[in-house]
Amino acid sequence: MDFLFNWLANIPPFAVPYALAALGLMICEKSGVLNLGAEGFLLVGALAGVGAILSAGASPAAALGIAMLATAALSLLFAVMVIALRVNQVISGLAIVFLAQGLTSLLGRTQGWTSRSFSGMPRIEIPWLSDLPWVGRILFSQDPVFYLTLVLIVFAAWALRNTHVGMRLRSVGENPEAADAAGIPVALYRFGAVVLGAALMGLAGGYLTVVISNIWVDNITGGRGWIVIALVIFARWQPLAALAGAVLFGGIEAVIPRLAATGFWVPQHFLLMLPYLLTLGVMVWSSLARRGRGGGPAALGDPFLREERR
Amino acid sequence: MRSPAAISAGALAAVLLAPLTGPATAEPFQLDGDPAPAFVIFSQVNDGGWSQALDEARQRVEDHFGLRIPYVENVPESASAIRPAVELLIDRGANIIVGSAFGYSDTFLELAEEYPNVAFMNPAGTTNAANLQSIYGRTYQSQYLCGMAAAAVSETGRLGFVGANPFGLVNWTINAYLLGARQINPDATVTAVFTGAWNDPVREREAVIALAEQGIDVIGQHVDTPTPPIVAGELGIYATGHHRDLSEFSDATQCSSVWVWDRYLIPEIESIVAGTWEPSPWGAFASIAEGGTDIVCCGDAVPEEAVARIMEERQALLDGKQIYAGPLVDRDGVERVAAGEVIGDGDLWGMDWFLPGVIAQ
Repeated sequence: MDFLFNWLANIPPFAVPYALAALGLMICEKSGVLNLGAEGFLLVGALAGVGAILSAGASPAAALGIAMLATAALSLLFAVMVIALRVNQVISGLAIVFLAQGLTSLLGRTQGWTSRSFSGMPRIEIPWLSDLPWVGRILFSQDPVFYLTLVLIVFAAWALRNTHVGMRLRSVGENPEAADAAGIPVALYRFGAVVLGAALMGLAGGYLTVVISNIWVDNITGGRGWIVIALVIFARWQPLAALAGAVLFGGIEAVIPRLAATGFWVPQHFLLMLPYLLTLGVMVWSSLARRGRGGGPAALGDPFLREERR
Repeated sequence: MRSPAAISAGALAAVLLAPLTGPATAEPFQLDGDPAPAFVIFSQVNDGGWSQALDEARQRVEDHFGLRIPYVENVPESASAIRPAVELLIDRGANIIVGSAFGYSDTFLELAEEYPNVAFMNPAGTTNAANLQSIYGRTYQSQYLCGMAAAAVSETGRLGFVGANPFGLVNWTINAYLLGARQINPDATVTAVFTGAWNDPVREREAVIALAEQGIDVIGQHVDTPTPPIVAGELGIYATGHHRDLSEFSDATQCSSVWVWDRYLIPEIESIVAGTWEPSPWGAFASIAEGGTDIVCCGDAVPEEAVARIMEERQALLDGKQIYAGPLVDRDGVERVAAGEVIGDGDLWGMDWFLPGVIAQ
């Protein structure tokens, strides 16, 4: 039983970045902007959080805010490229990744942020609830971002369905011509979605360093941004499904070292492959079920130009 | 790819193929003019690990010869990045080029052929020629000594180890860690967790936590970040480090297995200058006596008598003691080294077995 509770209590370090980044990516893509730059946004958020703590003496919470701002700033570049200039979204997203890898590596070195440890954001014990047997440790003695993530996901799921802004955002991603005809400012919505989405990815990146690792090394995200892209497809662009997927993907990663530490033989690479296998399965299933683009927004990846014939 | 990561396959290939291609039986390499070394460094020089160890060696070589030694850092493992960096250094007068990565192997071989008057040395490389020498360290020797320190501070006798991937040069470290630990505590065990990456502090942290949950109280490592000692310190257990002295990150560090490249490079450069340098066609495999890795030991928690034992064993290794001396039977009961024999270098690079007492997948 201890094994089970240890495992469950240690899923958040893996699952929270996935959930936050998937939510950010999803908001961006709901507006019809394909974003392959997730790995880059995560890196910038991760480095900005470290920089804020090491060079500006920021508190962990402020560092997370700075991580979000820095990533939002970088996303302006992406937004101008894909929305205003209508550059190919695939290429722009990949360019963001390479830019971020080079930029974070350079800044990490020149600013002396590499391999310097610091004290990050501690866990909080919620009074009463954290004393509950078992669930207290798993659910009520995590770091603050864990709770924020749950709130954000539930709020986003509700807001996308039930608010004007949410519905307009989706209409911009499904059929920008119709949205435009209905008087919705397509470019503005897309701009906002890119920036908000990037800020959430920045929070995910900042979480990796400020809350979990408490150290910066080159390429610390280790490909998590690519997993997030798979996760969004897996979740079929639904926030609650993304949360479930993040717990699943993160749960698999969290169980691997625990099984190994107990001396139990695990086919490690097979387990790490499972999320992708499931993602493929979801794509095949949605394609067979004739559900359009596997649940993705119909105009995903298409630049919008008013009055353009298609 | 991280430099030490992919060495085994290439080094194994080098070991196997070198006799086929044969050594270039030319005269010893002759240097034109005064020695002018220059370093081409894979990652950033303050990475806290592999590259920083090389850069620190560069500075000690500078001091020793009274030379200014230029370097280029962050040179990725692709020909399009390596070639301009090396050619620029040669244009500016460098005639001894020191690399730093497995992925430089092929490009360095091409460059060595194009520039026969320049000497090339490549830590973690796999190619060799009349003017190119690849080098790696017998890291199992220093990790064996750190395994002794680990067992000396462990109350449970159960040690943990965080490795990147299970292959030759990580496996030899884990087995040596156990052999060292058993010098102090014959019942010691080593439980290994592999993170699948050289540079993932999140996974390294979770691996240490998972090991500690099992009652393990000392953590060894063969990954590239200082995360394991930091987390061990937070959890109130001990750790040992690799690449560099990791005690700067946490007092939990009781021993570090550290690269001492200058001890290898200084005599090599002297022999290049003397005109007696003859690279081995199989590459150099530097022992603790020849300047591969050594230890920085010990932390406050290691008892006096254990420190003395560790230093005795270190001296024995310097005097030629073999760690992988038979009889050695692996945990599946297969005899790996017969009584009275020692393991060959090819078997080291290809090590895919664990000793009884190692708990790993």
